[in-house]
Amino acid sequence: MTLIAENVSMAFGGLVALDDVTLTVPDRAIIGLIGPNGAGKTTLFNCLTGLYAPTSGRVLLDGRPLEADPAEAARHGVARTFQNIRLFSGMSALENVLVGRHTRIKQGLMSALFHGPAFRRSEAEAVERARAELAFVGLDPAGDTPARSLSYGDQRRLEIARALAGDPAVLMLDEPTAGMNGSETTAIRTLIGAIRDRGITVVVIEHDTKFIFSLCDHVHVLVRGRMLVSGPPEAVRTDPRVIEAYLGTTECSK
Amino acid sequence: MTLDRPPVRHRKPAAPELPGPAAVLLRLRAPAAAVLVLAGALLPWASVVLPGGAYPDLATLQFFDAPHLVTGFRLHLVLLGLAAALLPRARKPAAIGVIAIALVHMAFLTGLGALSIGGPVTLAAGALLLWAARAEPPRPRMELKTPPPAVAWLVLLVAFAALLWLVSATLTAGGQSRATNPYGGAEFLAFLGFGLAVAGVLSAYGVLAWISAMSERHRIFSIAVLLGCALMLPFTQAGTGYWMTVASSIGVYAATAIGLNIVVGLAGLLDLGYVAFLGIGAFTAANLAHAVPFPVAALAGAVTAGVFGVVVGSPTLRVRGDYLAIVTLAFGEIFFRAAQNDIGGLTGGANSIPGIPPINVLGLAFNEPVGGLPGGSRYYMISVLMVAGAMAVLANLRRSRTGRAWLAIREDEDVARAMGVRTGRAKIVAFLVGATLAGLAGAVFAHKLGTVGYESFDFSESVTLLAAVVLGGMGTVPGAVVGASLLFVLPEKLREFSDYRLMLFGLALILIMRFRPQGLVSSS
Repeated sequence: MTLIAENVSMAFGGLVALDDVTLTVPDRAIIGLIGPNGAGKTTLFNCLTGLYAPTSGRVLLDGRPLEADPAEAARHGVARTFQNIRLFSGMSALENVLVGRHTRIKQGLMSALFHGPAFRRSEAEAVERARAELAFVGLDPAGDTPARSLSYGDQRRLEIARALAGDPAVLMLDEPTAGMNGSETTAIRTLIGAIRDRGITVVVIEHDTKFIFSLCDHVHVLVRGRMLVSGPPEAVRTDPRVIEAYLGTTECSK
Repeated sequence: MTLDRPPVRHRKPAAPELPGPAAVLLRLRAPAAAVLVLAGALLPWASVVLPGGAYPDLATLQFFDAPHLVTGFRLHLVLLGLAAALLPRARKPAAIGVIAIALVHMAFLTGLGALSIGGPVTLAAGALLLWAARAEPPRPRMELKTPPPAVAWLVLLVAFAALLWLVSATLTAGGQSRATNPYGGAEFLAFLGFGLAVAGVLSAYGVLAWISAMSERHRIFSIAVLLGCALMLPFTQAGTGYWMTVASSIGVYAATAIGLNIVVGLAGLLDLGYVAFLGIGAFTAANLAHAVPFPVAALAGAVTAGVFGVVVGSPTLRVRGDYLAIVTLAFGEIFFRAAQNDIGGLTGGANSIPGIPPINVLGLAFNEPVGGLPGGSRYYMISVLMVAGAMAVLANLRRSRTGRAWLAIREDEDVARAMGVRTGRAKIVAFLVGATLAGLAGAVFAHKLGTVGYESFDFSESVTLLAAVVLGGMGTVPGAVVGASLLFVLPEKLREFSDYRLMLFGLALILIMRFRPQGLVSSS
């Protein structure tokens, strides 16, 4: 499954957040999206996951235009996490993951009312899968802790488990290692590799350039709403325009 | 790194060790207070002879004529005093119970100009006990092991039988009306204080958690026993026509509150006009009552209310939070005014719809007494079954894809959408299910009362239902029933206080929200 942003522009009133951005997310790869604060990375994420309707341009999923509806994007296999963790904090960890599985559970209202055999089978399957996802990201498979009382790092992991439970083809991670220490970051890197090995394309926003360059197959650099550079990590890292965007220029270097 | 640590309660540091006699005095506070409670219970409380009531002689100086008769609130005080003396963890709840009992009686007796020394002594003892209990270091939570099934079943049987006794005793506490017992309201409130204290003691020793763990493990058994106990109520001292009528009204409101609990508690959609659905069900059944048998009328009431639920639910696709509350408020008011003005000749307007026949199944009219049971018992039974059904609906939906979607919408609607939940549809289903339950309750309501008028469905009823849900515990299965029972029993029992009734009612709500904001039955 390929996800393509085609000449996407997004303006909020007079503020142009994205300006004619084109991005292709190929199958089974890890894509990095970097850029200074306010470059439009999260806005691009929101366009790709149906939260925003682009002002112009379009988002294509396997060649079909994507509706501006996050529920439809999720149904078609685009899952995401959020920059500032947004769990269902009053629900247990397991219930959070089960909500992530929502689109793949088949239960009618009547069967939910009476809890018949078909219902119990589908519920047992869903719970088993949810526990497997909890174990996959390294959380307690019992999952009976309320989400709000998990530690910060575990909350980030739970968000990933919740997104994975919906069988996504593309997983979009918005700053998965923000606020984490070195060893936690390494663990997340391993986790992202394992997600890719399951055949899921991962798109990562990060500020930690070392993390991005060592992990990704392709890196895109977004600066002030424009796609500045795209390419393999080695090429992007040494690109003078990227260095300029991140470090600025001095009079001497001109 | 943890973000959401449970808030640390800053206690005052323990008082520095005092030398000699002062330390001994401090340590003696609790036992002294317990003894003082016992003494207060046995002292005279009233300075003149009060008429009637459950303990006429004991309420006065004549008490000393018959000291062996320790009944009523004196018995409760003696029990609480003994608990405080023997069980260290029981001190705080016992203190609160003692203070409540003392305050209620003192206020009442002061009102009659008949206060004697018993009340002040007991109040002081309660305060001393509370002071002693608060100074003690916090203790670890008690956990009791789950016993083998046979023992568990026995314990559950005893627990539910005790619950049945408690419900019956609470209902009948203080008698039926001002005519039979002039200080019934005070007796009832004092009994409530005692009941809360006992619940607090049981909770402090982990008994409540133990019982709930057992009933969770033996679900089917406990549901059967609980249902059986509920159906036994007509056979207790509460089995009079009056209390059966009160109890079946509570059942009607409890079923409605469960419906509201789906909308507000699970899906988080604030509905301020919810009683309209009860009204739609009642008026539908009332109009059909002479034409079709009760089950058909009930079904029609439920379906009509459900349809209106969808109609009211549809604006929720566009409005959220406060704005939704205003839309539902407007809907409730439209219904009320429409019913008042007899729109379409369907509601009878100010004349209401009289002469609705009682439910009649197999030639047996439900209002007549049967066997040794008073009239109204069968309305009580039908409302128990209805509440049980509504609880099953809530419990089953809560643990399904639909229920989780509602909870997710309540927690964070945008993220729920991002997880693939079609939030619009889920919200309309919540309104549909909730309104259907209310409509069904409305049909029973109409037949039970025999008359349906628009005044039964005004805004204050919606607010009371909402208060029942919040008070009982949002989103919990027994919560709405507990809340509705309390909110519809209290006004009935507090009639003696006439003018102060609503004030006391509001005060009780404020106290509960201050000290137990998650509701009486909490989900975690």
